[in-house]
Amino acid sequence: MGWEEEVQEIHRRRKLAKQQGGEEGIAKQHAQGRLTVRERIDALLDPDTFEEQGKATAIPDYDGDDKFLGFVPANYVVGFGKIEGRRVVVGGEDFTLKGGSPNAAGLRKSVYAEHLAVQYKAPLVRMLEGGGGSVKGGGRRGGTVGDPVFSAPRFRIIADAMGHVPIVSVACGAVAGFPAGRLVAAHFSVMSRRTAQVLIGGPALVERALGVSMTKDELGGAQVHARSGVVDNLAEDERDAFAQARRFLGYLPSSVDQRAPRTATDDNPERMEEELLHAVPRNARTGFDMRAIVRMVMDVDSFFEIGATYGRSQIAGFARLDGQPVGILANDCMVYAGAMTAEAAQKYRRFVEMCDTFHLPIVNFVDQPGFMIGPEAERKGTIRYGMAAVCAAVQARVPWASIQVHKGFGVATAAHYGPDAYVLSWPSVETGALPVEGGVAVAFHREIEAADDPEARRRELEEQLRAGRSPFPRAESFAVHELIDPRETRPALCRWIDWIQPLLDDLTGPTSFPVRP
Amino acid sequence: MARVEVESEVTGKVWKVEVGVGDRVAEGDVLVILESMKMEIPVESPHAGTVAELRVAADEPVQEDQVVAVIAT
Repeated sequence: MGWEEEVQEIHRRRKLAKQQGGEEGIAKQHAQGRLTVRERIDALLDPDTFEEQGKATAIPDYDGDDKFLGFVPANYVVGFGKIEGRRVVVGGEDFTLKGGSPNAAGLRKSVYAEHLAVQYKAPLVRMLEGGGGSVKGGGRRGGTVGDPVFSAPRFRIIADAMGHVPIVSVACGAVAGFPAGRLVAAHFSVMSRRTAQVLIGGPALVERALGVSMTKDELGGAQVHARSGVVDNLAEDERDAFAQARRFLGYLPSSVDQRAPRTATDDNPERMEEELLHAVPRNARTGFDMRAIVRMVMDVDSFFEIGATYGRSQIAGFARLDGQPVGILANDCMVYAGAMTAEAAQKYRRFVEMCDTFHLPIVNFVDQPGFMIGPEAERKGTIRYGMAAVCAAVQARVPWASIQVHKGFGVATAAHYGPDAYVLSWPSVETGALPVEGGVAVAFHREIEAADDPEARRRELEEQLRAGRSPFPRAESFAVHELIDPRETRPALCRWIDWIQPLLDDLTGPTSFPVRP
Repeated sequence: MARVEVESEVTGKVWKVEVGVGDRVAEGDVLVILESMKMEIPVESPHAGTVAELRVAADEPVQEDQVVAVIAT
């Protein structure tokens, strides 16, 4: 006789673990417009690629009289899978069991997700739903309480993982407490617009502590987090969120020890778009569509924007140039002329650090009028966040190309150039310490006041200075690499992509700084 | 018939009001032009319809997310 009986038991338990919260629990989840964790995993991954870890994890269930009732599956599912043929780790709470609040076996697997990703050098996708720990089950007498004093910090691996592998968080339902913390400890976070909320504390806690009665949507729905920066992107539904997660990972290496995958492209590196010649209006007061410029220069359909609704004066995202993944930074002059607000600065710093971590070259389309000014900007501490953005740029190690498109004024402009940046200038650019309007009034106020016709003198001085700001002298002085026809931008950048290939070969490994949420 | 509130995306000042109450507008038509950080920022109609209300006038200050007009669709 062999081990048939035990083998049968193994299969029974594996089957049991897949039952999740049973038919009733699954039906309830579906009725609320949400998928189960196993459906989510299938929707994210290439078909039939899920390799579950801990297939039979469960906890035994007893009634009040210590009578054995059966096994309850671990309510966290984790394992390997593939996205576009590349291995990832995926994990998520099973909300159909105890509302995703981890049972003992579930907790172990949940904490394991980051370990697995770091150990096997694979990106991690977290599918979050639930409120974390519960007070239920606490307060039992006897036994030990709390972790031993010598135990390693529980969140250490969550912090460390951010410096090793790409991490994506998807908010699939209400995400509160510790899961909310885990959500933001990622390089990209996305929430489904109608079925997800992200909250530190839910309505009951808020009402008790602050006497404010609010729904979870009012507290932490998509409307709130589009502007808070807690999530980067909104998705129409869960499937759209998973599609965005897949797309995001396509631009990145599997870990900091590898190079980002360069793909074949049909898009001609020499392509010159006629429209670029007219993209920037001659009248400096009239705005233009910076995203359209980015799309015309990058490989067709390769631009993926990150965090469009937060820090909106600054555009950030990934794209490809001749198949090479690059980080894109660009100013949106339709929002505060593209000025660096406190939010834009935080978005900027995080994005530069992410590109630095995964060694993605940065291409920067500069239209920077300076740090945002005014009473609100001062109250928000803009200069501190702005200077942090400058520091991130000037210490960056990745190859960096900047295209001076329109404006480049003040200290904030320093954030747009990494060390040894390759600098191209369009004829539409105007640069300096301060814009001519305003700057002249400050620098020459005595002279203007003393003139017979102060207004005429101010205009005269402004005209003189403006003439001195032509980009031609800067090109003559080799203060920029090339002054170019805007249509030449793509060919010039594609050549640069070719030049930096040996640099990218040498850039792998962890960065000298930790990456933090 | 739905009423759509059109919000300003930026803090600034109303430079010009381009439509009047009762005017027919198409999607993307400019309703109001704001001035913010020395740039002219058009506020466009998100839908085709009729201008039901104008809640701002020239030279008035405007806050981010403030409703500047209401379109009846």
